[in-house]
Amino acid sequence: MNQAADRTGIRVMVVDDHPMWRDGVARDLTEAGFSIVATAGTGTEALTRFPATQPDVVVLDLQIPEPNGVEVTAELIRQNAAVKVLVLSASGEQNDVLEAVKAGAIGYLVKSASRPELIAAVDRVAAGETVFTPGLAGLVLGEYRRLVDAPAEDSTAPRLTERETEVLRLVAKGLSYKDVADRLVISHRTVQNHVQNTLRKLQLHNRVQLVRYAIEQGLDETEE
Amino acid sequence: MGSDPAGTAVVSTLFRAIAVLRVVVLVNTVVLYAYRYDRYPHAATGAWALAGLTVWTLVALWAYDDARRRRWPLLVTDLAVAVGAILLSPYVKGDGLNATLPGFWVMGVVLAWAAAWRLTGGLVSAVLISAADLSVRDEITLSRWPNIFLLVLGGVVVGFLSDLLQRTAAERDRAERAAAAAAERQRLGRVVHDGVLQVLALVQKRGSELGGEAAELGRLAGEQEVALRAYVQRETSTPAEGTPYDLGGALAALGTSTVTVALPATPVRVDPVAGVEIAAVVAECLSNVRHHVGRDAPAWVLLEDLGGELVVSVRDQGPGIPEGRLAEAAAQGRLGVASSIRGRIEDLGGTATLETGSFGTEWEFRVPVR
Repeated sequence: MNQAADRTGIRVMVVDDHPMWRDGVARDLTEAGFSIVATAGTGTEALTRFPATQPDVVVLDLQIPEPNGVEVTAELIRQNAAVKVLVLSASGEQNDVLEAVKAGAIGYLVKSASRPELIAAVDRVAAGETVFTPGLAGLVLGEYRRLVDAPAEDSTAPRLTERETEVLRLVAKGLSYKDVADRLVISHRTVQNHVQNTLRKLQLHNRVQLVRYAIEQGLDETEE
Repeated sequence: MGSDPAGTAVVSTLFRAIAVLRVVVLVNTVVLYAYRYDRYPHAATGAWALAGLTVWTLVALWAYDDARRRRWPLLVTDLAVAVGAILLSPYVKGDGLNATLPGFWVMGVVLAWAAAWRLTGGLVSAVLISAADLSVRDEITLSRWPNIFLLVLGGVVVGFLSDLLQRTAAERDRAERAAAAAAERQRLGRVVHDGVLQVLALVQKRGSELGGEAAELGRLAGEQEVALRAYVQRETSTPAEGTPYDLGGALAALGTSTVTVALPATPVRVDPVAGVEIAAVVAECLSNVRHHVGRDAPAWVLLEDLGGELVVSVRDQGPGIPEGRLAEAAAQGRLGVASSIRGRIEDLGGTATLETGSFGTEWEFRVPVR
């Protein structure tokens, strides 16, 4: 995956309000052979440029001028469920990262990640794979635990299977997918599937919650 | 009068309650007067006076409803009307006066004074009205005492309550404002921190790519970035409630550019004694990693809150603890690091599991909580 030629078909949009970062990330990705089809400095710009440029991958900073990264993620996914959002965040706001993932982002990387890590992450996200840091795995584990502890009013809350818990815990303890596969004597692909399922269940639950909330608030009724 | 908006709002509520009372005592006075109308020597004058009292009551209800009108002219007029009506009583009702013309109506005036001018207002108005009441009696007997006593007591108590309510409201208002200001400062802090984090991360990334001296600068920036991120996480997850020790924040602070800490998004609050001890044990594990694996050896910490139990894992990818070394240490009568760690966790009622091998070393602590 190291040749530049492999990636020209991957259309990427970079969203970051910090020009130095935006240009740096765009340059790194261009040099690696990706097609940067758009850059944006605010949530509004991102939402305006998205329909016109139809990127496959959006590399998104969460701390951007309104609407914020979480809202942008939700809206992009609503417009095109196939778009892959990779969150690139310097922020200490763990809740924002979790919210973005629940809204549909499939990857998370801290900004201090090296250039090869960034390029590998965009490659994997473009291929539909999830990109987890140990930190994100810890957040997702915590979220499932929270859902279990939440008042029993919600029987639709997703649960992790034992295997999924096992895999996520190993990822949270810093093992690469390959190490996890070796440790559990399963294939790399299976690890990937387990991780992906944990996200998909959370995202689905999140969407159901939003619809339920909308109905409760009467937002589904058209205004007369 | 309450000079701040919160105090004024409380007093307005108080006056609305008093308004209801004033209507009740007015009706009481009018009905009693009508019932005994035939017995009074100058009943018609009294009726006119009561009509005037009714009109004044309505005016007063309207006037007291707005804080801007609740000033001395209104309050003094109110008191003057009450005293006037009392002084008119002997003429209307003749000798052997039993009840004054306004009767219980004067209570409304005393309470208004108490609400507006607190304890002093209640006391002064009650004393003045009592004096007027006594002045129209043919003879001063002990039978008047209960009414006077109750009036003065009521004025003082309501005055004291009005004072207390206004102070409490003002204090609550100040506290709310302070909390809002703190939240805004925290929000601003986050924005500022985020900008700094961005730059530090950029320096680290570019520095390591440039190599040489720049790489050293990058490494330093990276350390600061991790430290600041841990600080921000702790800052934003510290609402002042629940059990005091934020174990998540404490573990986040142990993160460095080589130590990765994974936490749940919600704060993990534990008993301070257990929390401090757990954090100290984790710090000791990490110090072991630095000593036995290498200064820049990567390590991972994972904190999970299972409800009744906390699970803390510390992992490194070193060569592992050589076989037999733990047993050897024990045989020589030395406690050894491993058993010290185990002992500290067991003292908290938990269990410590050690897995070590060519894949590295992994501690798992399970500590019951709550």
